[in-house]
Amino acid sequence: MMDRPSIHPVAWIVWATSAGFVAFVTTDPVYLILLWGVSWFVYASHRVDLEHARSFRLFLTGAVIAVALRTALVFFGTVSVANTSFSFLEGLRLGTILVIFGTFNAITDPFGLVRMAPRHFHEPALAAALALSIAPRTVAGVGRVREAQRMRGIRVRGARALPALAVPVLERGMEEAHTLAESMDARGHGAGRRSRYRPQAWTGAALLIAVGGVGAAAIFLAASVGGWAVLHPQTSPIVWPQTAPLLLGATALLAVPGLVGLAEP
Amino acid sequence: MQAVATTLLRRPVAAAMLVGAALLSVTMPAATGAAPACAATTGPHAALVVDTGVGTRSFCVALDATTVSGIHLIELAGAQDQLTYGFGSGGQAVCRLAGVGPQGDDCFADYPDYWGYWHGDGHGGWTWSSSGAASARVGNGALDAWVWGSGDSGATHPKPPSLGIDDVCRTAATTSPSAAPSPSGVAATASSSTVRASTPPGPTRAPDWGHPATPRSDPSGGRSVAAVPSERSTPAAAALAAQGPPPGSAGPGPGVLLALALGAALAGGGWLRLRSSRRERSDA
Repeated sequence: MMDRPSIHPVAWIVWATSAGFVAFVTTDPVYLILLWGVSWFVYASHRVDLEHARSFRLFLTGAVIAVALRTALVFFGTVSVANTSFSFLEGLRLGTILVIFGTFNAITDPFGLVRMAPRHFHEPALAAALALSIAPRTVAGVGRVREAQRMRGIRVRGARALPALAVPVLERGMEEAHTLAESMDARGHGAGRRSRYRPQAWTGAALLIAVGGVGAAAIFLAASVGGWAVLHPQTSPIVWPQTAPLLLGATALLAVPGLVGLAEP
Repeated sequence: MQAVATTLLRRPVAAAMLVGAALLSVTMPAATGAAPACAATTGPHAALVVDTGVGTRSFCVALDATTVSGIHLIELAGAQDQLTYGFGSGGQAVCRLAGVGPQGDDCFADYPDYWGYWHGDGHGGWTWSSSGAASARVGNGALDAWVWGSGDSGATHPKPPSLGIDDVCRTAATTSPSAAPSPSGVAATASSSTVRASTPPGPTRAPDWGHPATPRSDPSGGRSVAAVPSERSTPAAAALAAQGPPPGSAGPGPGVLLALALGAALAGGGWLRLRSSRRERSDA
């Protein structure tokens, strides 16, 4: 087991927001596919444990399905190279945002984020953290139930195994929520008090991650507003995307987390 | 020695021929342009006027169906008369014509300047199109115009020069007086002697599309407009006409290769990270 890298959670929020913003403002396949590479590299460098790895794989599958579905929508209308590539690029953008979200999910502890929220926003932050963590917790729950079933010799394949899988997973989710609520109540949450137990420090690595993210987003924002680079390549007639070196550099800035603040082996 | 002399002699000749060929290829489209294509074909035709703000070009486009969309009219003009174009929003919107307009998929990237879409009434009058070019229908004898400029409606957007269908698609002297208004409201001269099976319902045209051009001055805009069937006028427009496809279409640039290298490095780096962390785990 690796030690949990002590990167300030806000740095990860900044990174994920910036990467998501970059994916949002462009449909250029060069930047988008590069963002998949960036996400993969950052995930590989900072993943917390195997349960989170499963959640990353889930988002990766979801992203591929999103791209395929968005492209397949074309077949309901007239099919041409122009609108198929246009749909594919739109789908690729959606898939990229999903992959970035999956990476964020796999490398952060959502409940660590709750501690960062200002007092008045504590409850919305808690709701957000619960929502953020639902995918990895469900994936982890499914894994545990399957393992238990396998140990008892229950065949886990097939659609008929689904109820046998779903019921314990949902039950477990309820139990976890109860435990969480009770433990929070016991620690004085909701009473206006907050514990300041072991506050997280801003390290140089966290600062680099945040600055890299903001820088990348700022460059793409400038390109989007200033119009000095093509962010949405023409699809009709289809042309090779004209990749701007500055925007490539900005995308590379988002890979900074893969180089700094690694857990000590 | 003699060989050297001939090479020395041959070089300027070859260079001159090259320059001549280049000049010819630059000036040819401007000089002859659409005329041969139009002269060679009969059947339904529509006029396409492209006003870049510095010059106007007009095309007499042979239609490949009874009616086509405004987008397809541009594609036909591109195929028949080398009009360069770029569409956005998955081929629904017009971004770029004759080298003017944004390069990408976002047609409003140069806003407030954009391509305004007009329909002609056939006698030089223009109305602002209420529908997009992908859904607009263009039939025989119709006029479509695209004007680069700012202004969100027909009241403020610059208008195309006053052109009728006969200024662009010049008809031969009519042999029959039976003129009838076409479905699109364009009054065109019909020639009953040249009815073809492929012509749509409505007026039929005489086949002589390629009449010699006679220059005339445009009363409304003051621009010098040659009454066509081919290209017109300003040197800027001629230069635009001669320019090839946008640079992005030539092939993947160095940026794409750089991106490929970067992507490969990221993927490989990630794989190495995962492998090393797995080894640590199995060691522990």
